[in-house]
Amino acid sequence: MALVTTRAIVLKSMRWGEADRILTFYSLQLGKVRGIARGARRMKSRFGGMLEPFSSINLTFFNKRNDSLGSISHIDSLESFSPLRESLEQIWAASRMVALVDGVTADRDSNPTIYHTLLEGLRSLVRTDDPALVTLIFQIHVLSQSGFQPQVDRCASCGCNLGEQSSLFSPTAGGRLCGSCDRGSWDYCLPMSQGSMAFLRQARRIPFARATRLKAAGQVRREVENIVETYARSVVGKRLPPKDVLAAEPAATPYGLTRKDVMTEK
Amino acid sequence: MSVQQRQGLLAKLAKEFVRLPGIGQKTSQRLAFHMMKVNKEEALRLADAIRDVKEFVVFCEQCRNIAESELCDICQDPQRDRTRILVVEEPSTLHAIDQSRGYKGLYHVLMGSLSPLDGVGPSDIRARELEARVRDGGVQEVIVATNPTIEGEATAIYLTKLLKPYGVKVSRIAYGIPVGMDIEYADDVTLTKSIEGRREL
Repeated sequence: MALVTTRAIVLKSMRWGEADRILTFYSLQLGKVRGIARGARRMKSRFGGMLEPFSSINLTFFNKRNDSLGSISHIDSLESFSPLRESLEQIWAASRMVALVDGVTADRDSNPTIYHTLLEGLRSLVRTDDPALVTLIFQIHVLSQSGFQPQVDRCASCGCNLGEQSSLFSPTAGGRLCGSCDRGSWDYCLPMSQGSMAFLRQARRIPFARATRLKAAGQVRREVENIVETYARSVVGKRLPPKDVLAAEPAATPYGLTRKDVMTEK
Repeated sequence: MSVQQRQGLLAKLAKEFVRLPGIGQKTSQRLAFHMMKVNKEEALRLADAIRDVKEFVVFCEQCRNIAESELCDICQDPQRDRTRILVVEEPSTLHAIDQSRGYKGLYHVLMGSLSPLDGVGPSDIRARELEARVRDGGVQEVIVATNPTIEGEATAIYLTKLLKPYGVKVSRIAYGIPVGMDIEYADDVTLTKSIEGRREL
């Protein structure tokens, strides 16, 4: 058992027992870790409001080798991101960010790039007036950084080079499909135009801090949002918090569109 | 009944105790042995109390507080201020606030809070029932006393958007330093909020 001190961001907080909390953090040094904060829900707890989701903290905890649940010893607040708590759109956008990081990362598998992207993502959310766009670019970056980069230039199934023409994106294959793979596939697919391909390439090429200055609107924005959302859901294996706060009802199909719908649209 | 069967019954009781929140193996065994030691009347009184709770205690049809009839004692009380509704997440919070005797209005229990990370949306809490109570008229103020967590804040913002069009005053309970605490040990969020929510003396 070793006492570890690392910078971390709170991903999730769950009530436990009478007054405790079980926290999931994404830490700079250890990656995703879970720890128990005893007495955290009591009025005079030493942890105070520092264990709320999205908080950036300096975490000291007992890291037990054979136990996935560490015990939190001490916490110092670095950035509370309290402005994020003031609008539903920002709360939901930040939740989508932490849910994606939680979903695509494995326990105790450190990836400092993801930590810095998450920190920068939350900072960008505080500044932006378009939380949905910041979240979209964040999703593209984190998917790429965690080994799930959407395939745009080659067929995600057979690996052949693809041209610039519009084609179908398969969330289960993780990229565009060539004509022959598309005909032989029964996956749910989404249409992908040239504009969407260009946006996706540009968004992942530019560092995250600068990528948030990108602009997207209309058809391209809707298409990329739909593709990234369904692909992220396919990678994570569960529904992420919805973009629209009030849209809590599940879609009719696993990816919103059936293959039949897409073929009809074409 | 054989000795082995009797030990089996004691183990069965301990197994039931261990299912209760905050009770571990050792405590459940201690409670089971305690039940052996106490006289029969005392043990059966506990059994009857549990049975009565399950048979006669229901949720109030108006506010979802714990009740023994269609409406809870608070909703039936004519002395209560019917122009104010205080909104809480759980009946246990209602009980804590009412015991403080600092509030004399009505309540509304949401039975949860909005939680994007757990997939809890507006249709999963009793917000529409609150809206109906406000729409029916007579309410001048809704005090949102959800927990000061991300979920509680999200719920408070949602309720404000939902209820403001009806022209009622929607207020949020104050944030600040707990009574008896040293300010130097308060965290950044609490300190900032307590300064923002200061009042003139």
